[in-house]
Amino acid sequence: MADKYFVSAAPHFRKDESVGKIMGTVNAALAPAALISVYIFGWCSLGVLLVAILSAVITEALIQRCRRQPVTVSDGSAFMTGMLLAFNLPANAPLWLPAVGGVFAIAIGKQAFGGLGRNIFNPALAGRAFLMAAWPQRMTAFMRPFSVDAVTQATPLMLLKEGKASGLADMGLDYFDLFMGFRGGSLGEVCGLALVLGGVYLLWRRIISWHTPVSFILAAGAFGWIFGSPDGFFKGDFLFQILSGGLLLGAIFMATDYVTSPITNKGQLVFGTCCGLLTGVIRRWGGYPEGVCYAILIMNAAVPLIDRFVKPRRYGVTRQERNSGLARRAP
Amino acid sequence: MAQVIAIILGNILISNFILFKFLGLCPFLGVSTQTKPAVSMGVAVIFVMVSSGVVTWLAYRFLLLPFHIEYMRTVTFILIIAASVQFIEMVILKTSPALYRALGIYLPLITTNCAVLGVTVLNVEDFFVAGKTPVPGSFLLSMLQALFAGIGFMFVLLLMSGIRERLALNDVPESMEGLPIAFLTASLMSLAFMGFLGLKI
Amino acid sequence: MKRLWLEFIKGIGSENPIFFVVLGLCPTLAVSTNMTNAIGMGLAATFVLVCSNAIIALVRLWIPDKIRIPCYIVIIATFVSVVEMVLKAYAPALDRALGIFVPLIVVNCIILGRAEAFASKNPVLPSIADGLGMGCGFLVALLVISFVRETLGSGKLMGLTLSRPFEPALILSLAPGALLVMGLLIGGIRWLRSLRSS
Repeated sequence: MADKYFVSAAPHFRKDESVGKIMGTVNAALAPAALISVYIFGWCSLGVLLVAILSAVITEALIQRCRRQPVTVSDGSAFMTGMLLAFNLPANAPLWLPAVGGVFAIAIGKQAFGGLGRNIFNPALAGRAFLMAAWPQRMTAFMRPFSVDAVTQATPLMLLKEGKASGLADMGLDYFDLFMGFRGGSLGEVCGLALVLGGVYLLWRRIISWHTPVSFILAAGAFGWIFGSPDGFFKGDFLFQILSGGLLLGAIFMATDYVTSPITNKGQLVFGTCCGLLTGVIRRWGGYPEGVCYAILIMNAAVPLIDRFVKPRRYGVTRQERNSGLARRAP
Repeated sequence: MAQVIAIILGNILISNFILFKFLGLCPFLGVSTQTKPAVSMGVAVIFVMVSSGVVTWLAYRFLLLPFHIEYMRTVTFILIIAASVQFIEMVILKTSPALYRALGIYLPLITTNCAVLGVTVLNVEDFFVAGKTPVPGSFLLSMLQALFAGIGFMFVLLLMSGIRERLALNDVPESMEGLPIAFLTASLMSLAFMGFLGLKI
Repeated sequence: MKRLWLEFIKGIGSENPIFFVVLGLCPTLAVSTNMTNAIGMGLAATFVLVCSNAIIALVRLWIPDKIRIPCYIVIIATFVSVVEMVLKAYAPALDRALGIFVPLIVVNCIILGRAEAFASKNPVLPSIADGLGMGCGFLVALLVISFVRETLGSGKLMGLTLSRPFEPALILSLAPGALLVMGLLIGGIRWLRSLRSS
């Protein structure tokens, strides 16, 4: 009879989730893009991927050892940072580039702030911005897809910014090429199909929510549609804006990073929209051809303020009570 | 008109006073630990910048230039700024003693804020040809530059205060606590703002 | 005499204005892109610091307390104007390189800070020693930071190109790099200090 009673402390319902499992799922979602990059760019991209991941993981292990903390590289977060950093580099980058980038991303972007969950800026993007500022020539020497001896080719956005082409037709591409990744660009950003598949998988597994990616993509596309063409308003190419550059990669995988994005859904909509608008502004009027990386980093800095001012509705409080200040007298 | 937009964008985004010109770092690092004092400090700095921007322009144009004593620029400008700050101190003390206490030592320290003297000197360099003749619209442009320099200062100060409030709860390594991590954060913010390089509408 | 030496040495070591007291950041970050500029700024600031400390210590008993800060500022500003004119006349290239940071020496927190904390309370000779020490400390800090930034950031040293096994990281010559180097140096020095004391 006594066996019928189980006495235990809360929680009584457990979800089978842990940091390691979440990271593992995200890494699995990134795998298609990584594999396709090897197909499109060749074995050099595998080298970049491996070096970035190794340098990130080793840096984290070393720093945690130095600080006499338990080494948590098995949770897969450093692995993910390394992979995302590699995705932002040209496929034929010299191997010291991802190595230095990995060290910076983990040491400065993550561990200096206190480790997992404490960083303000997305570590992979911090690493990419650092590499871009340090070695701009290396970071913009993109490889032509399917070329055996690493011929360089400018990305569609670069061609647009430099005025060498005013549309897809001039570049000899069509939307299918853009979506499948048969164009110049960094390792992981080119194949929209792989990224979208990964994103859909993450949405299905409820790892990310639709708010940030959808608002980001729509805002950037709308901005590009309204302001994108030099011929006048509302003449831009919506689809081109969405499919080119690092927008899909950034919106699906970088802006949705738990640690550096807002907690509430409303906050995420604000965050995503502002990221998209900033991307559009930089792409249209800025000096750089691509603005996704900087847009996300700037909004990362604003996230503490967003979280402060966009508070979720308190459970059980109606709008009139909230506005009249009655709800402040908590029981 | 294009000049106005260039001033606005330049001072807030492209060559922000704190993140790129390195003016105003001491109060930036000192006051940015919490949001409320950061907002008050930002507003006070904007006020001092605009008022001293106006008075220094007038002093340069109608006092220093006609008498050919441009070399007295540094002394004159700094005295005008000190007087502005003194005046604002009195105003704040009268209107809001709580705010006065909250700002503490940082209020008189606006006098030594490189950003305030910096913007007055920059006005002379940018809007007077060879330091002698004012360009057309010089007064208005100087005032706008002072205003938007202050806004850019406050903008970055506000962002930093939000971040540092969160950092205070983090487990930062001891040797990095406080100032070093603030520098690293500012460095990453500066990296992020580099996205605006070359921005032209 | 020993006392003078101690006042001098503390400015370079234990109370280094940049690394320990953390004042005078604005010119440090802006000017440390290369060592030539760093030396120029360090010497200019030291000159102003020593002269203003000396004069303030001389007249300290006659300045009314309520207006002491404006008085110090005027004295400092005078010497800064002198430096400005000398630089414009004899080293115009350096003057252009240092830009607005020459007149900004007047609001360098180090100079006003020493005037308030030391020269207003001590006689002339110790004040001069203190000014020399703090100025040299400032110069030493500037040299360290600019050494790192110039060698790693542009592969040059004092304008001469080095033969190096690595590609220079341009970021170090730019604003974010300055902040990065500063943060890492201060953090590193603190860590070394904690190692030594433990």
